Amino acid sequence: MSAHDWFVEHRMDYVARTLEESELRTFQDHLGRCPECAREVASIELDLAWLPMGAAPVALRPGLSRRLAEGVLETRGRRWMRRAMPAALAASLLLGAAGWLAGRQETGRLARELEERDSRLTALMDTVSIMRGADRVLQASIDMDGREGGILIFDDSATHRWNVVIHGLPPAPAGQVYRFWFICEDKMVPGPEVSAGTSPALFTLPMPPEGGKVMGAALTVESAATPPGEPRGRRLAELML
Amino acid sequence: MRVTSTRRHAGQQAASSPRGSIWAAGGESLRARLVARDERALAELIDVASPWLLGIAQGMLQDPVEAEEVVLEVMTIAWNRIELVGAEGSALMPWLLRVTRNRTIDRLRARRRRSAALAVASADPDIGRHVEEESRIDEAGAPGWHVHRSVHTALDSLPEDQRTAVRLAYFEGLTHSEIAERLAIPLGTVKTRLRLGFGRLRVSLAPIKDWVL
Repeated sequence: MSAHDWFVEHRMDYVARTLEESELRTFQDHLGRCPECAREVASIELDLAWLPMGAAPVALRPGLSRRLAEGVLETRGRRWMRRAMPAALAASLLLGAAGWLAGRQETGRLARELEERDSRLTALMDTVSIMRGADRVLQASIDMDGREGGILIFDDSATHRWNVVIHGLPPAPAGQVYRFWFICEDKMVPGPEVSAGTSPALFTLPMPPEGGKVMGAALTVESAATPPGEPRGRRLAELML
Repeated sequence: MRVTSTRRHAGQQAASSPRGSIWAAGGESLRARLVARDERALAELIDVASPWLLGIAQGMLQDPVEAEEVVLEVMTIAWNRIELVGAEGSALMPWLLRVTRNRTIDRLRARRRRSAALAVASADPDIGRHVEEESRIDEAGAPGWHVHRSVHTALDSLPEDQRTAVRLAYFEGLTHSEIAERLAIPLGTVKTRLRLGFGRLRVSLAPIKDWVL
């Protein structure tokens, strides 16, 4: 009996999945190398294609069809939209109701506020969608004058954007500013100035058009008088992809 | 047994069963609509195929919730990769059946590996039978029933020892050694019975193998 005879003998067992785990792996490895066995296995599968219908069907529980369809169709985006839209709607309604109660004189102001909040909500939704869709999250601690903070970068390779959160920074020393930098293949490309405050700084950044491939990011403290060209100040954090 | 009684079907010939479709508008048309991302086609697929897929998964897993998870997984794969499913002439329904059975066996074996105690429980043929049988469809008008009947005719034609081995292997997902242990017979005898049984089934199911459902 040759080694191949074992595979010939167990083709049916492979299709029926009666092989033990180790045998199954051996057979799978062999199938990738043996067109004859692959052809014969396909033929057995075709012959026995309807055999699973020997199992009696089960009545679907009430609502199961709908749940299955929803489960199949549910994507990350849809899930997010379904959760976000009621919140957006509720926020708009609340603001609308508040505007009506405040009187007609307030209408213009409230409309502007509503618009502003809507745009903030849209920005927030956009931000959260980047966080949810991030393929990679980079994190580093920042130690500035004994105060500990952090920097988080959510990298969304699909949209080529970063969502950056910087928290725990004390106010910049007099005459200085915090600056975000892209570390690129060719050079450091300046990003936005980062304002320190009680709430975290949060911004969304497209990849810089110059400097070559982005390799990482850095946060420095720079002189406010110097226009951003290349970093000269103290480097507070550095993150590499 | 998880496979419904076959006596009532005795005498019916698989070869004489009509070629047909369990879908309202034919399997190929349904596939084309699925490729076109028609969500109504998905609903139709779920309505018609799920009872059969659940039958396979629930029969092996004995757990309705886990069985539904398997069906959801399979339907999601089918929906997301419909361009590849049946692209080379293989029909949609056999693909769904095969993937469901494979996924179910994967879960069953992972479960057995995780818990020897559970393996003992699941090896008890009476476990879950009551619940399962209550939810079984026994309706000759159900879409696909003629296929079910043809398969049972083929199974009925097997000698009892081969039929038992085939059922334990194919509908309960047991391996050679598990069947040998369950039936308290030598491993070689199990292999022989399965080889003979499946060989006969290949012949008796040949007339329906090209059905496009």
